[in-house]
Amino acid sequence: MSLLQSPHWPFLIDVYFFLGGLAGGAFVIATVANLLDAARYRSVVRVGYYLALVALLPCPIILIVDLGVPARFMNMVLSFNPLSPMSMGAWALLGFSACAFFAALFTFLEDAGRARNLSGPKVIVGVIGGFFGFFLAAYPGVLIGATARPLWIEGHALGALFLAVGASTGAAAIALILLAVGRRARHEIAAVRAMTVLALLIQLLSVAIFLASVQMSGRPASVAALDGLTSGRFKMMFWVGAISVGSVLPLALGLVDLRRRSAALTALTSVLVLVGGFLVKYVIMAAGQA
Amino acid sequence: MARTLAMFTDTSLCIGCRACQVACKQWNELGLEQPDWTGTYQNHTHFTDKTFRLVRFIEEPGAKPNGDLAWLLMSDVCKHCADAGCLNACPTGAIYRTEHGTVNINQDVCNGCRYCISACPFGVVSFNETTGTAKKCTFCNDRIHNGLGPACAKACPTESIQFGFRDELVARANKRVETLKGMGFKNAQLYGADSGGFLGGLNAFFLLLAKPATYGLPDNPKLPQKNLLADSLLSIGSALLVGIGALVAFRGRGAGKGD
Repeated sequence: MSLLQSPHWPFLIDVYFFLGGLAGGAFVIATVANLLDAARYRSVVRVGYYLALVALLPCPIILIVDLGVPARFMNMVLSFNPLSPMSMGAWALLGFSACAFFAALFTFLEDAGRARNLSGPKVIVGVIGGFFGFFLAAYPGVLIGATARPLWIEGHALGALFLAVGASTGAAAIALILLAVGRRARHEIAAVRAMTVLALLIQLLSVAIFLASVQMSGRPASVAALDGLTSGRFKMMFWVGAISVGSVLPLALGLVDLRRRSAALTALTSVLVLVGGFLVKYVIMAAGQA
Repeated sequence: MARTLAMFTDTSLCIGCRACQVACKQWNELGLEQPDWTGTYQNHTHFTDKTFRLVRFIEEPGAKPNGDLAWLLMSDVCKHCADAGCLNACPTGAIYRTEHGTVNINQDVCNGCRYCISACPFGVVSFNETTGTAKKCTFCNDRIHNGLGPACAKACPTESIQFGFRDELVARANKRVETLKGMGFKNAQLYGADSGGFLGGLNAFFLLLAKPATYGLPDNPKLPQKNLLADSLLSIGSALLVGIGALVAFRGRGAGKGD
């Protein structure tokens, strides 16, 4: 008999966790590419920074609409509570939004030929925004881990998992856009491909740590909730959707693609990563609140 | 901070009259609700946004000293934890601790994010769709600041709910456990009285006649925020791996493999 209550966060919050993670991941990838070789990875940087801003745009709206009293959304940033990941997340969203805006603005000014050299400010905004981006991708996992919900309270790698999903989906989205706009620079796609594969590895490792830590906690309520995820009503969505088709299959395809370098294979892998990344977050949110 | 106030609910004295539940509803103007059919006299199944005091009716085989079925009654309420998960979780500062040690939600500040609902180890905090805010027992904040005890304690006809200074109530509760043990209630125990125990002790603590799980209470509830350090460190580890991964992915192809 569990007497715990569920927050009943709606589907839109899962969408926010997905978009925020994707934006953070894309931003970090663009920043690393920009730092290593801005000229060579011009398209990755451009797509990454634009994508981060676009993916971020619906996020504040989703969060405000979800509140019981939307007019009081400002109360989140009138308070600073380091013990509350939701408070920290609101601040990170604010900081990241500013960085994503300026990174996209500087990129646009360069593209439009309005400014000759903005590489200095772009590096500064990119590095600061990179830290915020990591935070934005990871904090929802830490947030749900700091609740009394049986599935989440014993699963310690949720922040690590959400961050890795942000990186894999961010890389996959960049790859898809590069392919869609017909970029000829194949070395850029090759790098993003490698990034996707590495992020998928970290993602699967985090899932394994999450499952193991809940199982090993030995708390009956937590183990029962884990059973709901892995062998109960969420088992198909978890094992088939999130793990097999959404993580393991794209990992295998991505490894083949590292040698094959086929645009079609990269596109398929990227779509699977995006679907899988969403399902991982969705199924953990759904099973945790059930 | 003033001397900590507390409520001691001695379930061995409860007769299940639900005067506390009604008094709470009336004083706090909590309004009407659709009843729940639970199969017992208990109504509702659990705390709601309009039920802050709830008498639980539990039938437990073999819990009586002579081995008979025991009809256990427990008037449940927000525990006003010394380490409160809801208070730590609140991102707006709406949830605060009073100078008496009780935990309250400022209804004019709460913006209805519902994080506290997920962070309560006892499932106490509830969401009110009409106001769009989180609701729970206020320890009759208006009454205790005007020299009155909480409405539930005032209404209780058997002194099952006692209100007073925490240290005095704990001493009284310990004596009561000894008495009950002497009468053969071998499972008589205090829940949340120990301020060195879980959640720093509960400012609304209980005397139970069976093990906590019988009443639906967690044996050893954990403060949700205890996870923050480990989860954050693992997240930083993941960030480092992703960062190194990005360096590997982009450096390897930066030096002119150039296909």
